[in-house]
Amino acid sequence: MPRDIVHLALFKEEQLNEAAEAIQVLREMGISDHEISVISGAPLQEKMLGRPMTWTRIPLIGISGALVGFLTALFFNFGTPLLYPIRVGGMAFQTIPTSFVTIFELTMLGLLISTFIGVFVETISPSYGPQGYDERISDGYIGVLFSAPAELDARMHEALTALGAEIVHRAEAKKLWLF
Amino acid sequence: MAVEAKSLSTPIHGVDDEEAELREQLMFDPRPREELNRMVMESMVHTTPRYWAVVAFLAVVVLVCLFGAWGYMIATGIGLAGVRKPVYWGVFIVTFVFWIGISHAGTFVSAILRVFKAEFRRPFTRAAELMTTFGLAAGALYPLIHLGRVWVFYWMIPYPNARWLWPNFRSPLVWDFLAITTYLLSSTIYLYLPLIPDLAMARDRTKGWRHAVYKALALGWRGTEAEWARLRKAITIFAFAIIPVMFSVHTIVSWDFAVSQTPVWNSTIFGPYFIVGAILSGVSAVVTILVILRATLKHMDYFIRKEHLDALGKLLLVFSMAWAYFFFNDYLVSWYGGYEAVRKVLFFHSSGPDAWIWWSMIVFNVVIPWLTLWNRRIRRTPWVMLIITLLINVGMYFERYTIVPMTLAHQRFPFDWGTYVPRIEIIISIGTLALFILLYMLASRFIPMVPVWEVREGQEAHMIRQIGKARVPTVSELE
Repeated sequence: MPRDIVHLALFKEEQLNEAAEAIQVLREMGISDHEISVISGAPLQEKMLGRPMTWTRIPLIGISGALVGFLTALFFNFGTPLLYPIRVGGMAFQTIPTSFVTIFELTMLGLLISTFIGVFVETISPSYGPQGYDERISDGYIGVLFSAPAELDARMHEALTALGAEIVHRAEAKKLWLF
Repeated sequence: MAVEAKSLSTPIHGVDDEEAELREQLMFDPRPREELNRMVMESMVHTTPRYWAVVAFLAVVVLVCLFGAWGYMIATGIGLAGVRKPVYWGVFIVTFVFWIGISHAGTFVSAILRVFKAEFRRPFTRAAELMTTFGLAAGALYPLIHLGRVWVFYWMIPYPNARWLWPNFRSPLVWDFLAITTYLLSSTIYLYLPLIPDLAMARDRTKGWRHAVYKALALGWRGTEAEWARLRKAITIFAFAIIPVMFSVHTIVSWDFAVSQTPVWNSTIFGPYFIVGAILSGVSAVVTILVILRATLKHMDYFIRKEHLDALGKLLLVFSMAWAYFFFNDYLVSWYGGYEAVRKVLFFHSSGPDAWIWWSMIVFNVVIPWLTLWNRRIRRTPWVMLIITLLINVGMYFERYTIVPMTLAHQRFPFDWGTYVPRIEIIISIGTLALFILLYMLASRFIPMVPVWEVREGQEAHMIRQIGKARVPTVSELE
């Protein structure tokens, strides 16, 4: 079965309402939300465009990293003295107050680094929504990317241009990174 | 209540005085995104021969004063430095504490003001974050320089030696290593994350090697909903998590001193006292840099305005007062305790041969800010703010000098008293100052100094509401 063609409807930054309406029009034509993607040069809340909330694993990855950091700190504080015990008179062999410093630092280090790794991995991972890009996005344009069957071309074109969109038919995925 | 809201995103006909005054604020003086992008790109690529002359001069200073002098000290021995009994911690430690303190500005301005949604932060968060990263880079050199035998630096890294003996994790010096590493890594990432959309903007507007670099760093950013959502989430996690890390770093630096038995250092208030001092010196350095950026980078006067200096001036006044409070608290309780060694050191600070340093500290950190920063006109005059903030940082450097070598020079036993005269330390410290300025100048040619998307988002969020007969500036919650 031939793949649906990807289109890009570009709206100027002040045409946010029209972009939201265009998404509604596309939905009414039978194009589902996962076949639509919005790209923008500034963050837009999903509810502004009536889009479903985006889900991310970043907090989960961050918490996992924090746990790894915490366990590493426990090992440093309470495990390493056992590997080569040196008992000094008048000093406790294991201490809790001083361990808080290391535990705090390594837990935070784990949290922050893994959060970044999460962003990095999720960003470079392949996404399955419609691909495509236009340099005008970083100039503030709002792009509505969608894939639609060819028989909808005429209706879609008419409806979106009436809303003020500039339509790039057959929007192509660009190689924006190394791979 | 009937209200009417309008955006100032388009010029308003019949602009009256009230609106003209509003347009003095960046958030009420919007320009199209395309124009903002162009201005930021031009500020990066527009250089003059004078700029390169300064860069070349700084590069020579770094080579000679930092790497040359440091290399000479490594080859000859730590005896080239002025440290000797009883002062084993001298200018290297003073400068280390100074740079770590400076690095608090980025986190304070970017993270704390972000968490509290202080709108005036938007155009200069990156300038402050860059300062954090480069301040830490300069500061992190000092533990290595101070080591003397730098080739064994890896002994600081937590891994076991041949007998499975690990470093002592109860030592504040190991805490220092962990805290600075955590802060350096997290503040560098915190600089990078909000930069990604701006790097993508730069990628779309450049060719050649610049395009290749921006393309690699922008990670294929397109601005999809998923990308924005994860960026927002990550920035939020960082903003909240990096604040306690920031507090921990300078607290741990203060514990290098406070956990010892040395009179005057052994203080329970040293942690918060160091943090307040760090924020005072860091925010001062941000103002210094903003004034210089505003004067030297093209179009920067659009983004960095008098309103920003005004707001930061108020913060400086508050932190100057907070510093004075902690200083007095620490001083009074130590003095009141009546412990002879402590009183001797305190007396030595304010009346010994280096008393001018102690008195200058008081003048620069308290007298000058309190006499000037209450005045709105002064806060909004860039060259005056430049002088005040430079003096505050000199004062903060003197504060660290008072705490470290001046205290060590006058300990418990009179036969152990001594003087400290820094020698090669001064040259190396000048070298790290030049390194910081050089890195900053070079970064200003490669990194968009203004977070354009954040500024634009802020401008979108600001509106004028008509409430009754008054027109009131308001901010929508877009974040």
